[in-house]
Amino acid sequence: MSQVNRIKGGLIDRSQTFSFQFNGTQMQGYAGDTLASALLANGQTLVGRSFKYHRPRGIFTAGSEEPNALVQLRSGAHQEPNTRATVAELFDGLTATSQNHRGSLKHDLMAITDLMSPFLSAGFYYKTFMWPKAFWEKLYEPAIRMSAGLGRLSMQEDPDSYDKGYLHCDLLVIGAGPAGIMAALTAGRSGARVILADEDFTPGGRLNGETLEIGDMSGQAWAAQAMAELASMDNVRLMSRTTVYGAYDHGTYGALERCTDHLASANGKPRQILWRIYSKRAVLTAGATERPIAFGNNDRPGIMLAGAVRTYVNRYGVTPGTRVAVFTNNDDGYRTAADLAAKGVTVAAVIDTRNQAPAQDIPGMRHIRGAGVVDTKGRHQLKSITLTDGQMIDCDALAVSGGWNPNVHLTCHQRGRPTWRDDLNAFVPGDTLPTGMAVAGAANGALTLASAMAEGRDAALAQLADLGLKASPIDLPRAEDEARDGAAVWHIPQSKKRAWLDLQNDVTVKDIKQSHQEGFRSVEHMKRYTTLGMATDQGKTANIPALAIMAECTGRTIPETGTTIFRPPYTPVPIGALGGRARGQEFRPTRLTPSHEWASANGATFVEVGNWMRAQWFARPGEKGWRDSVDREVLATRGSVGICDVTTLGKIDVQGRDAAAFLNKIYANGFAKLAVGRVRYGIMLREDGICYDDGTTARMGENHFVMTTTTANAVLVFRRMEFARQCLFPDMDVHLISTTDAWAQFAVAGPNARKLLEKIVDADSQDMSNEGFPFMACGEVTVCGGTPARLFRISFSGELAYEIAVPARYGNSMMGALMEAGREFGATPYGTEALGVMRIEKGHAAGNELDGRITAHNLGMGRMVSKAKDCIGNTLSQRPEMNRDDAVKLVGFRPVDRAIPLIAGAHLINKGDAVNMANDQGWLSSVAYSPSLGHSIALGFIKSGDTRMGEIVRAVSPVHDKEMEVEIVSAHFIDPEGSRLRV
Amino acid sequence: MSDFILTSEPPLAGFDRRFGDTVLKAPKDLAIVSIALPLGDETKAEKAIKTAFDIALPAMGTSDVTSDKSTTLMRLANDQAFVLFACPTPDAERQIAAKLKGAAYTTDQTDAWCALELSGPLARPALERICMVDLHPDSFAINAIARTVMEHMGAIVARTDADTYLLLSASSSAKSFAHAVELSLENVS
Repeated sequence: MSQVNRIKGGLIDRSQTFSFQFNGTQMQGYAGDTLASALLANGQTLVGRSFKYHRPRGIFTAGSEEPNALVQLRSGAHQEPNTRATVAELFDGLTATSQNHRGSLKHDLMAITDLMSPFLSAGFYYKTFMWPKAFWEKLYEPAIRMSAGLGRLSMQEDPDSYDKGYLHCDLLVIGAGPAGIMAALTAGRSGARVILADEDFTPGGRLNGETLEIGDMSGQAWAAQAMAELASMDNVRLMSRTTVYGAYDHGTYGALERCTDHLASANGKPRQILWRIYSKRAVLTAGATERPIAFGNNDRPGIMLAGAVRTYVNRYGVTPGTRVAVFTNNDDGYRTAADLAAKGVTVAAVIDTRNQAPAQDIPGMRHIRGAGVVDTKGRHQLKSITLTDGQMIDCDALAVSGGWNPNVHLTCHQRGRPTWRDDLNAFVPGDTLPTGMAVAGAANGALTLASAMAEGRDAALAQLADLGLKASPIDLPRAEDEARDGAAVWHIPQSKKRAWLDLQNDVTVKDIKQSHQEGFRSVEHMKRYTTLGMATDQGKTANIPALAIMAECTGRTIPETGTTIFRPPYTPVPIGALGGRARGQEFRPTRLTPSHEWASANGATFVEVGNWMRAQWFARPGEKGWRDSVDREVLATRGSVGICDVTTLGKIDVQGRDAAAFLNKIYANGFAKLAVGRVRYGIMLREDGICYDDGTTARMGENHFVMTTTTANAVLVFRRMEFARQCLFPDMDVHLISTTDAWAQFAVAGPNARKLLEKIVDADSQDMSNEGFPFMACGEVTVCGGTPARLFRISFSGELAYEIAVPARYGNSMMGALMEAGREFGATPYGTEALGVMRIEKGHAAGNELDGRITAHNLGMGRMVSKAKDCIGNTLSQRPEMNRDDAVKLVGFRPVDRAIPLIAGAHLINKGDAVNMANDQGWLSSVAYSPSLGHSIALGFIKSGDTRMGEIVRAVSPVHDKEMEVEIVSAHFIDPEGSRLRV
Repeated sequence: MSDFILTSEPPLAGFDRRFGDTVLKAPKDLAIVSIALPLGDETKAEKAIKTAFDIALPAMGTSDVTSDKSTTLMRLANDQAFVLFACPTPDAERQIAAKLKGAAYTTDQTDAWCALELSGPLARPALERICMVDLHPDSFAINAIARTVMEHMGAIVARTDADTYLLLSASSSAKSFAHAVELSLENVS
């Protein structure tokens, strides 16, 4: 196919010819083309099928507002559906396919839907697919999805990469049209830090598509010259191919930069970058979008907005047809006719809805005034139009201008509502703008060139002055204020045929009227009922004409009828860009324990605990499943000695003259009198008296404590303590710093724990005897010939146990040393599963028990909440309801039939009672198979549990449809006297 | 003499990558000790710091280096600073505590952090991708420091020279942190 519609001129580089494919047909275009301009150049006016009726559709606009020309770009895993051909930059080797048709684009079998359109009006989904219910998901939804829709995903993993970033500036200028360039020049010359972002690949906005002059040069040349000056400024960052898609709090904006979409290959670099721009001030110069006029069959390929026609003619050197008619309700349409004529394209007629003299004299122009288009012909390409007076005009393209809507979208992102201007027949930004934003140029209703440039400059000056930055007004170059009068004509009521408003979602004038007839008075209701404005283009070309139709129906004005506001994103943002680089293994940061390398080399299976990777168990050859490994680790630990990396527990260094008094406030139980060299278990309460964390704290010196928290709550506890330090007790001399990562800490547990550690701890640094280092002792020691370490005699397993900490850099080596030292005792590494089993056997509460509802009273630790001192949560923990005698209490459970495994989460019901919430007695919170006892055991909460030892109740799990009888027992299944701890 | 010898294995030991003229490497043997100023005795502590290092405690959000370039003080908060210096042995905290003679509280932070020095023309463009702090020279002068978050990881960024930044983050996620900076460099190079 040759470039039959290519005409002279334009900003394209004819020395660079690009080959591309559309639906398998080889075509050619030039550097500087979009896919849309190249398709038009090649005479390809039919580019897609509509969403609902499968109507043939062409190219309607020349920008990001395009509702029709959505294509699938590239192929294979790189395939991207719903790309607007009007903004897809052409490159050599580009492949594109049309979407939403069965069979060929020209002969779409689903076009039969159009014949059924009388049955498919607005809201037909809601009325039609009511019954039978069984068909909803199995038949109706798949059928609808198959017959209506957009493009298809490749169903393969996205091979492209994406990135994110952060930018800062004094002034963000959004849109590099004439107003935006003036704003950027003003701010840039003042020395302010400026970002000028524009979605196009050639900055200049409408100057690139028009023949307007600035000073003594073309508008395009002026824009290029200004951009060159801006590019030379170190304080200005120019971002083309960048859409500022959202205005967020405090001057923060979201922007999508398309880095390599215009290249055949990304060459391993990010395809797109999602920027967060922190601006002190912003000027929105996003221009305006032309709106159509609705008339019968106004959706045929070849019908295009008049401004878009000018852009294709002037910027791309392409005519949309050989014989073009213009239909307008304003002066702007005449410029389209003039530009076409200047390029030698035949202008069939200019039809003006206004009964007045032409706004512009164009030699040879056929001017038809006071008329409208009521119908068109030409299935795959426009062939003729029919006017209100019945005359038919042959043409293969029609340029339509219904006036211009300022692009107010970003002004609405924080609920700002636009206001109506009668002189423009359009909404302009309202009074409530996002913080720090000013609006200038066409986006503000200054729709003529000179006024837009002046507004851009003045808005920048005002914003800089607001920042206290000095700036001088730059000279305004000579530019015209072009004629822009127009009439409020939204549709041609004489049309008998369907007249489209929302081309992407196939919503017609009739649909809006029907919506009104059926009682949908609110704009928002109308949108949802008809789906108008809810496609990927957010109704950029549809909303205002639809609103006008609605106003007609109600007999009110447009502002009385209301408007709709916009939300981010301005144009679609790929999910890949929102995800950025967070994918696969790098989805989130991973924290590794110091002995991770040793564990990896010794058969560990890892489990994610928050961001940590912890060894869950260490499988050995011959073991058939995880239970084999865990049972062995438990028995080996209780039988001799086991070693577990417990570095993940939070560690907080607490120092200061008031450290002890501070801990008295933080913990429910007392710490002020804890002796140096001793450790104490403590519980922490929230302000409402709920117990939220527990752990041990060691007093290393008079003014120095080392606290441990649970792994899960390490950050939460630190944050709450820092809040208490800074805000609740600012007069206390206390200082906190996290040392979680600083120390590699290992639990060494079991009857041979001391013997093992005697080989590790330097003999001259610590007497390891039971008397010299008793249960709950702590101290600074050295290990392995002088490495500083901390030793704590504490036990989570219930065995004789220690925790030993060394600087984290020695952690991996320490794990090896401990294992080597324990070889003669059969030392066994154990993971989090064995750790959990042993703590359940011992009856220690953990995260399963501290679930945000449980009090110290529930845990059987009510007496730990000291009445003799004040602490966080103390007062509210005394509420009567939280101290009821029949409150649930932590106890143990074992199955009556020892062979039956218990189910965590099962609820407890008294024998004989019905299984319902009214009879709920409590629940099983932690369940494990106890290899020590040879049967399943559980910790759980049951009403008055401490007084019900030996009672049999039912554990019921409706989720599993199972129930079993369980006996209430002590939570301490192993060594209830604690004698093992103290040997 | 112990039967066992522990080997020091910092998570980023030996890390050194070049992207053209930009270098990303882990400083060798960097020790970090935190100093906390006792409430009410700040003046005394500041005098002790001046005596110990021959430089004053810098203003908040800035750092300063001793005249022999051996030690850096980073003022992170009103009552908190870090001392950074080369120390291959695990006794950094004791060394600093001895210098301060009890005038401030000290905590060894050497193993809590991993450190990367990023230097060269791509340093700022790379950090733009992960660091939300405004690193423009007008906003982030040499010797400026800031606590921030990079790729969901807590971090400290310090500008130590015109195009040089010292980055600190948690040692447990050192590999993720290094990957984040490396990937940024790959993306901008």
